[in-house]
Amino acid sequence: MAGRISSGLPMHVMADLAPTIPRARRGLTAPAGLPQVAPAAVFILLLFNVPLLLMLSWSIDPGDNPFKYYAALAQGSVYMKVLGNTIYIALLTTFACCMLGYPLAYWMWSLRARSQILVLALVVLTFWISILVRTYSWIVILGNDGIVNRSLRSLGVTETSVAFLYNQFGVIVGTTNVLLPFLVLPLFAAMLKLDRRLLQAAESMGASQARIFFRIFLPLTFPALAAGSILVFILTLGFFITPAILGGGRVPMIANMLDLLINRMPRWENAAAISTVLLVLTLLFYAAYQWVEKKSRI
Amino acid sequence: MKSAINSGFKALTVSVLLMSVFGLAARAEVKELRMIEAGGPSGESVEKGYIEPFTAKTGIKVTRESPAGLGKLRAMVEAKNLTADVVELSSGELEQAKALDLVEKLDWDAIKPDPIFGEAKLDDGLGWQYYSTILAWRADAKPISTWEELWDVEKFPGKRALPDYPTYILPMALIADGVKPADLYPLDLDRAFAKLDKIKDHVAVWWQAGAQPPQLLKDNEVQYAVSWSGRVVDAENIDFTYNQGQLDLTYFAVPKGIAADRKAAVMQLMHEITVAKNQAVAAGVVAYTGPSEGLDALLPKDKLDTYPTVAKNKNVQFLMDPKWWYDHADEVEQRWQEFKLGL
Repeated sequence: MAGRISSGLPMHVMADLAPTIPRARRGLTAPAGLPQVAPAAVFILLLFNVPLLLMLSWSIDPGDNPFKYYAALAQGSVYMKVLGNTIYIALLTTFACCMLGYPLAYWMWSLRARSQILVLALVVLTFWISILVRTYSWIVILGNDGIVNRSLRSLGVTETSVAFLYNQFGVIVGTTNVLLPFLVLPLFAAMLKLDRRLLQAAESMGASQARIFFRIFLPLTFPALAAGSILVFILTLGFFITPAILGGGRVPMIANMLDLLINRMPRWENAAAISTVLLVLTLLFYAAYQWVEKKSRI
Repeated sequence: MKSAINSGFKALTVSVLLMSVFGLAARAEVKELRMIEAGGPSGESVEKGYIEPFTAKTGIKVTRESPAGLGKLRAMVEAKNLTADVVELSSGELEQAKALDLVEKLDWDAIKPDPIFGEAKLDDGLGWQYYSTILAWRADAKPISTWEELWDVEKFPGKRALPDYPTYILPMALIADGVKPADLYPLDLDRAFAKLDKIKDHVAVWWQAGAQPPQLLKDNEVQYAVSWSGRVVDAENIDFTYNQGQLDLTYFAVPKGIAADRKAAVMQLMHEITVAKNQAVAAGVVAYTGPSEGLDALLPKDKLDTYPTVAKNKNVQFLMDPKWWYDHADEVEQRWQEFKLGL
């Protein structure tokens, strides 16, 4: 993940530059470099995977009804509502990121190389600022006495302050702000890979700019948009700080509920069951992401 | 099957732990204690008031970690890998910790406490800090003095910030509805939630961190807030009242399974906590008070009104009933979440 972000280019873009191994040879022999990787793999297995599985095992009751915590999950309207609410917010965030991210990436693509680097730097810069700081700065901007509300009042547009924060809208502003680069960077990379001669050919055949965009540019970059969307969706599912600060405690998401079950009332078995469901969901979406991304490389 | 897997995992975990240097190091005499506490100004008051004199006397260092919480205690006791020797728990959490068998009995003979209030001297917890949950408002808002007035948005217009903790707001809702503080328990949950439904549209924020209410008042995000007393009594441009506040006591407890020598050191630290002189130092850092009966005389006269336990304030407040909250924890939490989802 980090490697993908720091260069701003997806792995497969980098891989395109490396000579490819013939397909027939792969899969027959053990992957090269296994002995070198083994210590790191064991390290990860012991210090990450084992504790994770240990934790998830709490969700299974040793008694005669091993799945009782899952049953409680299915019956508890609260859990289902929060899960539904989390998915809903993730969908809205994904939509907002697409609406903002695609035009931004398209605009970046149309710039000259030097300007491209500058804008790219601005996008990547947000990764170096703490998520906490970025979240709080929205209060300065959108709060009751924030810049936006003060301007609206002084211009006479509104009498009282508009409630931008402490509701679903506030949370989605926060999540979109944090996740936009995750969509823009892969999308921009995909646009760079696109063969410009295709567009020139279409132009020479007399196609209008709109037609070129919708018949060639969009279809060719759509898989990258889909992959980036799934990524944004997955990441939103785990957001904790943003709903806590910008939701004003009125927009419950799964991570906040887990915090409650783990830290405030010791009901770890329920928390483990929810975590397992969340992990499985995430893995399913991640599989979809991998599949879409593979498609996008063809 | 599950148990076989579990014991396999346990063996693995134990062997991983044994590999750690600390597990193999021979136990020397206690040089350092580890404490988990609430953090913020409250944590600084522990440092100045109790840890400094303790270290001066014994040479034992105390390392603080925050935030506190029942989750951390349960994690280390169940993993049989204690990462702290003394932990802070709220009165309700202490009840839960007792039921889950997570805390040691305290050795009061070893603590040799100075005279302290009875509710602070429990078998498995030392009540060390009184704090209140009170009404606070921006100095430019219309002053209020009762929960009934907080609910009255006609006469006292403005946004509210209320705690995202049923323990700190359900009793207030009942008092606002006309219940006398003496008749609160057992709580009438239906009535309390019905009353909360009446105000929920005027609540901008349900806060979780004690630092939020004063910040929200300062930023004019809300005009009225329910806050922990120590966070607002010394804040600029914020007014407050102890009238009808909820007085509560927070405890220090010792995790189950602690080594005897470490426990003995904790008992020495706990003695320092019962000394009125030390409590006065702590109260100077944050306006919460310790459990000594003779503390009032040592507090600065000009700030006496800001402390939760001085007679004038203590008499207009009510105490919570941790036992009731423990018995009804699940039901309350379920209903609380349902209420919040309906916002």
